[in-house]
Amino acid sequence: MQTKRIASLMLAAVMAAGLLAGCGGQTSGQTPATAEQAGDRDSVIIAMDTNSEPEAGFDPAFGWGAGEHVHEPLIQSTLTVTNPDLTIGYDLATSCESSEDGMTWTVTIRDDVKFTDGEPLTAEDVAFTYNTVKASSSVNDFTMLDSAEAVDDTTVVFHMAKPFSIWPYTMAIVGIVPEHAYDSATYGSNPIGSGRYILKQWDRGQQIILEANPDYYGEQPKMKQVTILFMEEDAAFLAAQAGQVDVAYTSATYSDQTIAGYTLAAYQTVDNRGINLPVTEPSVNADGVATGNAVTSDVAVRRAINIGIDRQEMIDNVLNGYGTPAYSVCDQLPWYNPASEVEYDPEGAAKLLDDAGWVMGSDGVREKDGVKAELNILYSNGDSVRQALAADLSNQLAELGIQCTIEGVGWDTAYDRALSTPLVWGWGAHTPMELYNIYYSPEDTGTAEYSPYSNDTVDQYMDEALASSDLEESYTLWQKAQWDGTTGVTQDGDIPWVWLVNVSHLYWVRDGLQIAEQKIHPHGHGWSIVNNVDQWSWS
Amino acid sequence: MTTTNRRRSTLFLVLFAVAVLAAITVAGILLNGRAMESDFARKNLMPCLEYPFGTDWMGRDMLARTLAGLSLSIRIGLLTAAVSACIALVMGIISATMGRWADSVVCFCIDLVMGIPHILLVMLISIACGKGFLGVVTGVALSHWTSLARVIRGEVMQLRQAPYILAARKLGIRRWDIVRRHMLVHLMPQFLTGLILLFPHAILHEASVTFLGFGLSSEQPAIGVILSESMRYLTTGKWWLALFPGISLVIVVLLFALLGERIRLLLDPASAQE
Repeated sequence: MQTKRIASLMLAAVMAAGLLAGCGGQTSGQTPATAEQAGDRDSVIIAMDTNSEPEAGFDPAFGWGAGEHVHEPLIQSTLTVTNPDLTIGYDLATSCESSEDGMTWTVTIRDDVKFTDGEPLTAEDVAFTYNTVKASSSVNDFTMLDSAEAVDDTTVVFHMAKPFSIWPYTMAIVGIVPEHAYDSATYGSNPIGSGRYILKQWDRGQQIILEANPDYYGEQPKMKQVTILFMEEDAAFLAAQAGQVDVAYTSATYSDQTIAGYTLAAYQTVDNRGINLPVTEPSVNADGVATGNAVTSDVAVRRAINIGIDRQEMIDNVLNGYGTPAYSVCDQLPWYNPASEVEYDPEGAAKLLDDAGWVMGSDGVREKDGVKAELNILYSNGDSVRQALAADLSNQLAELGIQCTIEGVGWDTAYDRALSTPLVWGWGAHTPMELYNIYYSPEDTGTAEYSPYSNDTVDQYMDEALASSDLEESYTLWQKAQWDGTTGVTQDGDIPWVWLVNVSHLYWVRDGLQIAEQKIHPHGHGWSIVNNVDQWSWS
Repeated sequence: MTTTNRRRSTLFLVLFAVAVLAAITVAGILLNGRAMESDFARKNLMPCLEYPFGTDWMGRDMLARTLAGLSLSIRIGLLTAAVSACIALVMGIISATMGRWADSVVCFCIDLVMGIPHILLVMLISIACGKGFLGVVTGVALSHWTSLARVIRGEVMQLRQAPYILAARKLGIRRWDIVRRHMLVHLMPQFLTGLILLFPHAILHEASVTFLGFGLSSEQPAIGVILSESMRYLTTGKWWLALFPGISLVIVVLLFALLGERIRLLLDPASAQE
């Protein structure tokens, strides 16, 4: 009896240890269907993160291309595209104009485009697509669109619910589906489009095989076959080590490794990380959620944090050097205002705090009117990069006399908690709408959605930017919303968010594979890399 | 002569195990601040004299983290095992003394809890209680009492037929007094052993549920958090992140198992004189 019990407990302990050890490797067992084929030089195999697999399939109405992480839909065509410098170019469209009041958009399209089932793509299909996504899109906001209407075979008119000058950026991510062959139940797994590639095979949980569309109206894709494998990060690393993939996503954790025959490629992104700093005094909102923060409500504290942190040190410490300092949510995009940039100036930061009455205490923590300069910095549980950024930020702020603790939270509570506590966020999209989402305060609530803030001048510039009939002109207005010389959301303005770093996207790339020039990648380490896979080549 | 030696060596082992576990607990509490401290200047160091367990990707001292984690596990284990054992004692006695109806209700509860896979039940309760410390403690405490309750129920059933209990009943002593004066005393060895043997289960389940991400949040120095983090770095050759904390956890669990067995030997009348 006694020995039996001991034996069983020991077994239990050993099994538990085995279980724990086994969990990490469970995804590494996948075998790619088409591992390296010698001499086959017009195909490519790419390992992507498992979250990139579109759960609802390749239906634009359910987030394909147009979800939280935007990218080109590849299988479908879009009306417009974003150029490498993030200005607007044309795909299906041949012209695109908005009315003076911004309430209608008239788009003419090419007449030589066919879906892969042989049917021609007409303005009817375009109108159908937009009316469908407006009705059923759960991941994108289409409230600015009232309805789409086909005037003739090649002209479509969008009737807007409100002026929306950046509509071309929305048109760049919505893939056009065929009205005659669209069934929302099956389209996701069986998509018919007119894009560069055809979905040939999809093994859920494993891989997607795309084949070049032989009837594509544009330049023929150089890569005839694209295989995408979905793997965990460690499995992707091992797959590259075993030579089974041509491109494998990876992160800074692996950047000090080397794989023979592969090069580590780093692509610049606007995949930023930043913290929100609630600008209001502590109180409770209508829903009973605590908002505001006694420390960050002082603009001097927010400004001191912005110039008192060494972003390059964070990049070196946390990202092994693979990143760029972030000063706004939209660094280097056409609507970015360079006035957001600040110099690292710890003395200046200390002076700001001294002048504002935050007196250094004997314990190294500043204090003002009985309020200790203490912050709790939240990050999403299990995200090692955000956790390390929070830890590094906390170490750096301690030197300024602001004492920090860090706490991991789940997304179920994070949004509410962020209303009163700084949270490490990740943003970055190919549309100025992000500025609006972060800084705009709607009239009914009077405060921005994710962190308490409101500034009428900033709101007004953004309203004007959306109402503008000229896209170029709207860029200037978006820039003014950030800083117009007297007010804004930058260092000399209200600085309600402090941006830390843009995380570079890292890939192991097999030697000889020429990856075409990449746009600045948006948030999400997934499909962006294959936006132009048709132009990749082997040498 | 041999019996005293055996008894003495057993006692010595028990004291040794208690001392080690107490030392880990206290050291962990004292090192908690150090375990949370990150210093990127010393990240990813191999085990060396200054950091015998190495450091992780944020430059945290793994020895301090392991000790703090074990200490937290032991404290959670203590709390949950105590709660579980008390629930088991009450349920067991109710089941065996309050009549057939109460017995079937308790047995139904036991079957219900045992019918759901253990780790799943812990996870569900933990999520329902909002994860974190409270979630883990509630989850582990409410799921571990069943087998001990069964043992105690069986023991009480047997006791009820014992001549001295039957005699007491014939003498007109009230039911509650019989339970308190005659049964509880007899149940003590079973109860204490059961209590201590709950620790290893509680600790392992706490570690597993945290490992799977349904327990403590990731900046806490908990052994499950440490092990799950270390998984990400194994492929890059950072073996020390998983090895030492894993071994330490196994050692602590074995110490508790040893402690439980030895205490049973000392307390159980059948083996106490061996």
